[in-house]
Amino acid sequence: MAGSGKAHMRPDGDTVLTVEDLTVEFKLGKDKIVKAVSGVSFDLVRGETLAVVGESGCGKSTLGKAILQLPKPNSGSVNFLSTELTTLGKKELRDMRPAMQMIFQDPVSSLDPRLPVSEVLAEPLRVWKRGNQVEIDAKIDELLNAVNLDPKVVRDRRSYEFSGGQCQRISIARALALDPTMIICDEPVSALDVSVQAQILNLLQDMKDRYGLTLMFISHDLAVVKAVSTRVMVMYLGKVCEVAPPDELYQNTKHHYTRALVASVPIPDPERPISSGFIQGEPPSPMNPPSGCRFRTRCPAASEKCAAEEPQLREVAVGHFVACHHPIEE
Amino acid sequence: MSSTEQIATTDIAPVQKARKKRPFGFYLAGFWVALILFLAVFGDFLPGPQWDESFYDSLGVAPFHQSHILGTTLDGYDMYSGLVHGARLSVFVALVAVIVGGAIGTVIGVASAYFRGKIDVVITMAFNIMLSIPNLVLSLALISVLAYSDENNPASTTRRVGVLMLSLTIVIIPILGRIARGATLQWSSREFVLASKSMGTTNFTIIRKHILPNVAPAILAIGFLAIGSVIIVEGSLAVLGIGVPGGGSWGSMLANGRGNIAFSPWEVYLPAGAIALTVISCNWFGDYVRKALDQRESKI
Repeated sequence: MAGSGKAHMRPDGDTVLTVEDLTVEFKLGKDKIVKAVSGVSFDLVRGETLAVVGESGCGKSTLGKAILQLPKPNSGSVNFLSTELTTLGKKELRDMRPAMQMIFQDPVSSLDPRLPVSEVLAEPLRVWKRGNQVEIDAKIDELLNAVNLDPKVVRDRRSYEFSGGQCQRISIARALALDPTMIICDEPVSALDVSVQAQILNLLQDMKDRYGLTLMFISHDLAVVKAVSTRVMVMYLGKVCEVAPPDELYQNTKHHYTRALVASVPIPDPERPISSGFIQGEPPSPMNPPSGCRFRTRCPAASEKCAAEEPQLREVAVGHFVACHHPIEE
Repeated sequence: MSSTEQIATTDIAPVQKARKKRPFGFYLAGFWVALILFLAVFGDFLPGPQWDESFYDSLGVAPFHQSHILGTTLDGYDMYSGLVHGARLSVFVALVAVIVGGAIGTVIGVASAYFRGKIDVVITMAFNIMLSIPNLVLSLALISVLAYSDENNPASTTRRVGVLMLSLTIVIIPILGRIARGATLQWSSREFVLASKSMGTTNFTIIRKHILPNVAPAILAIGFLAIGSVIIVEGSLAVLGIGVPGGGSWGSMLANGRGNIAFSPWEVYLPAGAIALTVISCNWFGDYVRKALDQRESKI
């Protein structure tokens, strides 16, 4: 598993974003190269919510940033609204930025502590000269109302006066300011209390319906993913393992890594014995990933073929793709 | 909009408008610095004896004399007007060195940390090399090279003061530059900087609107401390005989008076006291800014 392939791509759909063979590497020293994302391909159809899941360090955040060209990926193509971003000049790339926005994991760090909320929200509008001060003020009030914050109360406050959930609302308002087509949400709720998580997820869903957004939702929490996504992509060590709609993925899991992930979702039942899970140990170092299938070192079904040959994504059910030589049989 | 979501706006604490109580020492230090600044600017226009006028009828009188409130030197120069005049040069030199050096250091440090890359490595190395040379030795070397003087070619006072300021400025650049670099590294890794980049804000605007305002308090705190140490370095150079000649600064008053300490100890104690109080006040301000900053930081 953890393979390449493009069987899951939908070239005929109304795609907003098409990513092909995206590779991101970081140089850590002379011969040390971290392969954070290795040849990932996927596409986003207008109006869908693609969830990208995987454990820490599997490259999902890096993937999100690479799509925004922050920093630029080492190779591969990112086609956003029929424009190839990777080869775009500085100025042309900047012109594309309003259409693609990002929401970050740490709600407090996402806001400049020295700026009042009105300035935080005015920044994108000023950068792009969206109207005069009166129009900007009106837009700020509209955005704050949209995320259920009272403009009169919050306008002049700074980020440290807010709770994490409130900060995240402001971040969402800022991401909406430029009327984007796509928002990449990088673990937007993982730093929040569970009770607040639901509020923020509902808000994101409302905003998506209201503004016709396309979302890429990066998370490690499968329960959250199930609640928001229309399609799930499971990543392991910089590669795609499995792509499927959430219900299909949970009920008809094909990939051994996905099964381990699903099994790791905590079930709120104190009587239930704690399962040790299907896999043990840490993922291998992305500096020196295993040959063939990257998951084979921890996979219960690994064979010699897995070491020799990298599995390609193939369709096992309608809309369900898996990159594994030995998928789980029912 | 469910009912749970509307709670969001009501559970925000009211804005706290209560004024912070500042410690007494803050006002004391503030009063001293204000007095010194006032005298440095307007001192020469105030009535009283001239600083470079020798009173042959009252050589070495003790302080609290009726016409010389702080006494005179053994050569008959008035201590009070000497201190007022010296304040101008000592404070001016220190302020220029810290403001100019701080500005240059901040620009280099912020740019180096924000853009990283090879230039950052070179600049960090340059800062470290400069910091490894003791302040006094560096200024000493610069002054002896740039304002060399002996009996045949005396360097003019203006030139000596100019070179003094230049050398102290060079001393300050790496001190504040490294602070600026460190603070910028910390702030530019915050996600709001990435958010600004992702919305298409230019690097210049990000530095101006997000980095500099956040880095400024740290630089300000160390800048106050730096003013204090520059005043001390200036005094030390004068005592070593290469500061401003002719009793024009606190340091050179100290240097001129140290031979007379047995006869007129106030010649040493008064300028030394002025230096000490000013340096303590500056350090106090620096500490206060730093503490205020720490409190803000802990809230963030």
